[in-house]
Amino acid sequence: MKVRVDPNICQGHTLCAMTAPNLFVLSDEDGHASAITEDVPAGQEELAREAARSCPEQAIVLSE
Amino acid sequence: MSIDETTAPRVDDESRKEGRRIVLDRHGPEYRTEFVDWAQRLHAGPRIAWNDTHGGYWFVNGNQELFDVARRSDVLSNDHDIHNRRRGYKGINVPPPPESSGTIGGFLEMDPPRQRYYRNALNPYLSPAAVARWQPVLDEITRAAIDEKIESGRIDFVEDLANIVPAVLTMALLGLPLRDWVVYNEPAHATVYTPQHSPDYPRVMKMAMDMGMSLFGRLQELRATPRPGLIDAIINADLGGEGPEDDMEIVGVVMLLVGGGFDTTTALTAHSLEWLGEHPDQRERLHREWDALRDSATEEFLRFYTPAQGDGRTVSADVEIDGVRFHEGDRLWLSWAMANRDEQVFADPHEIKLDRTGNRHASFGLGIHRCIGSNVARAGFKTMTKAVLDRMPDFVCDPAGTVHYETTQVINGMRHLPATFTPGKRLGPGLEETIDRLQTIVDEQGLAEPITVRKDRARLA
Ligand code: SF4
Repeated sequence: MKVRVDPNICQGHTLCAMTAPNLFVLSDEDGHASAITEDVPAGQEELAREAARSCPEQAIVLSE
Repeated sequence: MSIDETTAPRVDDESRKEGRRIVLDRHGPEYRTEFVDWAQRLHAGPRIAWNDTHGGYWFVNGNQELFDVARRSDVLSNDHDIHNRRRGYKGINVPPPPESSGTIGGFLEMDPPRQRYYRNALNPYLSPAAVARWQPVLDEITRAAIDEKIESGRIDFVEDLANIVPAVLTMALLGLPLRDWVVYNEPAHATVYTPQHSPDYPRVMKMAMDMGMSLFGRLQELRATPRPGLIDAIINADLGGEGPEDDMEIVGVVMLLVGGGFDTTTALTAHSLEWLGEHPDQRERLHREWDALRDSATEEFLRFYTPAQGDGRTVSADVEIDGVRFHEGDRLWLSWAMANRDEQVFADPHEIKLDRTGNRHASFGLGIHRCIGSNVARAGFKTMTKAVLDRMPDFVCDPAGTVHYETTQVINGMRHLPATFTPGKRLGPGLEETIDRLQTIVDEQGLAEPITVRKDRARLA
């Protein structure tokens, strides 16, 4: 599974990092999120899905 | 297309509202007490309604519809054009305030790029990492506020706690003297909950004036002797090669941050404590499982109580969204509160579930105007709630003394939430002494610098 945050959509609500702190990191300066690695580590797929569901802006893109 | 069709007045103006008309007075007390009925009714349709009150406006209430509309900053404007330089748009309040006020609601009543310049200037003071630096200060203010009451066994959670903590922290973030919180405290809340027809309105307006004068004075001081903080960032903001137009613009931005920083967090904390008092089993569970439930419970209280109930916009170009033909100049209201109760997204939407997952509520708004203070609000709420659970775990609220805001037209707030509890021991000095001590720490450690300048947490010892 691959994960990324669309930077044009993310507004820094921080719910992704709250839900899955191992998958997302927030910028110190504006709190906008990015994925720590593009490939979701094995066993963390459900967390990635939960983070995507929690994002108010629906900025998290999961693929495969 | 014939010339006639392009120049004729729009004949469809009324037909596009057909089947969508409602009469809902958001400013009446019934809207608060009948909120669940209204939400259920509107979510069955029309999910984007035409509300024939206050000059007429679209009332966006469904969750998906709100998502589809709110993020369209290409066709929505927040502009409050009080000098009539552009298209005369009326900003984010429906109805707009009386023309005389002379200030606008900071960058929440601006469009990009100016709005973005301001946010870029302020984000490094308000990002999650920036706010985390303040945690020891938040803990200490909270400790002192509770110590003032802990031996008596009585507290008003609004006046004695939830008003104080966000206010003192906001002063610190702004770079104002911490003890100025008292100048801002009452007017910041009273201007929200006092309707224009109230006999108290003139007094509240006078307090608001005094607060404005105090702020003008502080601006002069801060120009002469700069101090780090949000106000410094505003004064020196690079708004595309120019600075703020005048002090009125600066005051508008500061008052946006004061309004956002004070009343909302107070409202969230008070309502949550009221609910926890009514549900002692859930209160014990939250206390016991704090680490596991802290975040989900916070988001759930945010969803359920939606402190800032909605935001107005003006449609800036003809557009069709979700089957509604919006016209340039139409007013609309984005009801975060209603979208947060939509069962298409939230199972049992009118229930509080401390462990709710997938909670993509809209309480901080959606799109480019997302609440810039959301991280401050969360930190303040969590700190106060945890301290109450730790230090007065058996509190019982007094419904007879509890006062909610009469209407939820702006903020779903509370004026009083008195409670009793088993008295405990003080842990340290009282509020005044603590605030003086914190002032020294804020100054010496430059705590109000942006995260780009200072990365370390506050050190209190
Ligand atoms: S939850 Fe969504 S909007 Fe918020 S920081 Fe994460 S990706 Fe961005």
